[in-house]
Amino acid sequence: MSEATAPVAWDPRPPGGALAAAKRIGIGLILVLIIAQALIVVEARPQDLITGVHGMADIIRRAVPPDFSKFGSELWPALETIDIAIFGTVVGVILAIPLAVLAASNVSPSRPVYYVARSIIGFCRAVPDLVWALFFVTAVGLGPFPGGLALAVHSIGMLGRLFAETIEQMDMAPIDALALTGARRIQIFTHGVVPSVLPSLLGISLYRLDENIRSSLVLGFVGAGGIGFQLLTAMNLFQYQEVSLLLIITFVIVQAAERLSAILREKIS
Amino acid sequence: MLQVRDLTLRYPNGKLALSRFNIAVSAGELVIVLGGNGSGKTTLLRCVTRTLMPTEGEVRVNGTDLAPLRGERLRRARLELAMISQHASLVRRRSVLANVATGALGRLGGAWTALGGLPTSELAAAHGHLAEVGLAHLAHQRAGTLSGGQAQRVAIARALAQRPRVLLADEPVASLDPEAAEEIMRLLRRLAAEENLAVLCVLHQVELAYKYADRVVGIREGVMAFDLPQAELSRETVRQLYLSEAA
Repeated sequence: MSEATAPVAWDPRPPGGALAAAKRIGIGLILVLIIAQALIVVEARPQDLITGVHGMADIIRRAVPPDFSKFGSELWPALETIDIAIFGTVVGVILAIPLAVLAASNVSPSRPVYYVARSIIGFCRAVPDLVWALFFVTAVGLGPFPGGLALAVHSIGMLGRLFAETIEQMDMAPIDALALTGARRIQIFTHGVVPSVLPSLLGISLYRLDENIRSSLVLGFVGAGGIGFQLLTAMNLFQYQEVSLLLIITFVIVQAAERLSAILREKIS
Repeated sequence: MLQVRDLTLRYPNGKLALSRFNIAVSAGELVIVLGGNGSGKTTLLRCVTRTLMPTEGEVRVNGTDLAPLRGERLRRARLELAMISQHASLVRRRSVLANVATGALGRLGGAWTALGGLPTSELAAAHGHLAEVGLAHLAHQRAGTLSGGQAQRVAIARALAQRPRVLLADEPVASLDPEAAEEIMRLLRRLAAEENLAVLCVLHQVELAYKYADRVVGIREGVMAFDLPQAELSRETVRQLYLSEAA
């Protein structure tokens, strides 16, 4: 039998009264202050955009039409850009998976191992890929290889965290059930953990490949190969028609990668 | 086959979850444990599987006491015990056949199974177990596409793949409709008889206990309230079990 409860009259005032309203106003003021200080620190001057319109129009005028005669010679750097991303993603995935297993609290063998793995992942992620690229250009010289290495190390950080979170969020009931059958730890991992999280890991990896293709375009600016290096050279030589061709190629690569990644992720899910 | 003697579990906060609990289940016998929420039914099964470490007592399976065992010796001893629970706990993205065959992993060593493979002989045996539970036609379907009743039958087939002597079932029909629940209980009854399994099953459905149990055990606040053959179990005894829980 349910207990009888006294009817409660509806009160149109929001719960919490004046204190809650003051809190909301306080939070609003803090947000406004944060945005205001950002505008001051970046020295935002919208009027400069208006006075700079002539300069921008001049660059655009000199950039059209794109110099399609150089299309053939730009294909190799374009392929290099894509391959830097593929190399970085594949190596990143291979190294991120074992680290993620050690960094997932529900399957990590011990707390010290968990903290060490989390620290490595955190460090790889904290250093931007452009800084990794500068580091590897110094270590192994100019070209696409340092670019690939930079993306691989940064991907370990990004993928390691996401993989670990995926493993932590998986349903543990099938894992516990396998443990009760007397399966060994490695068997529980390969027969329970891997099939449960594999589709998510593949989806995350494809998204990372998409991100890495965008990043590899920029890495050329610090000498790490690919179309970015061509872009920097063309800009330095005021070859704006070549710049516009390179931007078109960049746009096509990014759009194609994004679309392909989305299609594959949809198929996996 | 399964003998539990003086099984006691006291939590670190001093709460007594099980107190000197005794129960024996012979091969071919289906024993059903009844009791209210929080009475200690699931705790009993978790102590038997050694998911929980009992404070005192023995859990003998085919003569071996599991209570003091650790590590590899415990893992090996646990192979004799299979467990099914309220949720089938299948790996949803694997095929039904692969899920059943994983029940045999504890008996299998080697690199192939460590890398995620399953021997053909075990897959064939798994197909046989699926046939036993009437689901051979779903062998290659993904486990995630099954209904609750089908998934529970697959979990039973997985338990059979383990080749256990004792089958423990923790509220195996709790999330099923009445028809599917009857089907699972009929299956447990048949497996106890045909496979000579000792089946210890925790239930909330008193009618199913009357219909399928050889013996019924009542548990109240971690203490055994009764242990009677099904034919001797009166409605009043069961009523008293739940009444005292509610009091």
